[in-house]
Amino acid sequence: MSDLDSFDFIPLHIDPKSKAISAAAQTPATRALEAELAALNTLHRSLHGLDPPHLVPPPPVPVNPKRSANIGKLRESGNAEYRKQRYGEAAKFYTLGLQMALTRAAWEPSQLVREELHALYSNRAQAHMHLGLWAEAASDAEASVEAKRQGNAKAWFRRGRSLVEMGRLAEAREWVARGLEFEGEEKELIELLKEVDAKMEQEKVKRDA
Amino acid sequence: MFDIDWRGLLLPLAYLGVLAGTFMTFSRVYRKRKAFESANLAPWFGPHLQRNIYLSLLHMEPEEGSEKTPKVPDSVIRAALLRRAVEDIHRIIQIRTAKQACSSLLQRGSVGDDLWQRFQRAEKEMEEELRDVVMEANALVPNWGQIIFQSANEIAANKALRDRIDEIEAQTEKDKEWWEKRRTNIKTELMKELEAEAEAEEGQQDHEGSEKGQTNSKSSVAGSEDEPVLVETDTPSAASPSGASKKKKQGGKK
Repeated sequence: MSDLDSFDFIPLHIDPKSKAISAAAQTPATRALEAELAALNTLHRSLHGLDPPHLVPPPPVPVNPKRSANIGKLRESGNAEYRKQRYGEAAKFYTLGLQMALTRAAWEPSQLVREELHALYSNRAQAHMHLGLWAEAASDAEASVEAKRQGNAKAWFRRGRSLVEMGRLAEAREWVARGLEFEGEEKELIELLKEVDAKMEQEKVKRDA
Repeated sequence: MFDIDWRGLLLPLAYLGVLAGTFMTFSRVYRKRKAFESANLAPWFGPHLQRNIYLSLLHMEPEEGSEKTPKVPDSVIRAALLRRAVEDIHRIIQIRTAKQACSSLLQRGSVGDDLWQRFQRAEKEMEEELRDVVMEANALVPNWGQIIFQSANEIAANKALRDRIDEIEAQTEKDKEWWEKRRTNIKTELMKELEAEAEAEEGQQDHEGSEKGQTNSKSSVAGSEDEPVLVETDTPSAASPSGASKKKKQGGKK
């Protein structure tokens, strides 16, 4: 971008039917160009999904409440199943909700997506823990933390607990310690940390023996 | 008396001439190069791919074998402009984060003046670029200029979040496999230990017979241990490719 009035011309080809853009045949496309064109075509297709009066994405707020309501409903159904101790069913509902939240249009507020994802992932982690699926629970809780780092002590705890169950003690210790940095003095986390330390001590004694 | 020996002076004069000539050429070349450098400071950012695509779409040329220029629908142009705005958002973020560091480094004298010049030029260029995008947006759809960067900002943030989530999801599969393997390992070890205990009670004589059946060298290790569950503290990615061999090694030490 050395000069604002000029640009590097890229020979492009447009498919007359699908309107997909691709690099013209005679020039070899670099990987960056190909990736960018793919992103452009995806965005173009998603722009077609807009409600008719809109030609371009509307401002991020206000949000169309329909999808939020659906996601909320799926979470409620999951919670209801969870209370009835049907954890497999609950996990299925949460998965559906996650799919809905993840397929939100790209221009909708990311903060909202984070809120929804963190709750759904955290709940699914809990359901997986009840099913004894520790690997799934661990990564669900990690995703939940990724969506919301602070004020998400439950998710920090759930991944820590799952790691302990899988015997990944050093990792669990590191994770819980980091969680404590974010959450401050959280009773559950402190207790888990103590438990991990005790287990590691046991391991050490056994190894030395 | 005043008879000058021109011949004798020839050599010193030639020397002076060469010296002056050298100085002049050097200073001219040096100054020219310096001016050239400051005019062509390396740009802060690489080529703006999205901008190039957008402008290329506006200036499509007829392809070989056909006369008329291909018609690019407006929706594609709008999408391309939105992509360009997203890239601008990335660049604005970079500039904002770099500004503080850059100015403090300059004050301390850790970086040269030309870096600061490059930075300021990049900043100015970004301002122009943003203005240009807003103008283009308003030309395409009335009043789009006011919201295009809001949308672009959310797109950029959502993309970053989704990339991280995808990464975690991809890791899940590996984790699951690793845990599956580990659990079966733990189970077999437990079973073998129970067997070994039973054998030890029966006596030593048929111990060798059962040893043949067990192809795994771990069994003898498990038998000699108090606890069947060896808890590894490795990460799965580190443990899964060499999990079995590692365990043998650990067992060997004991």
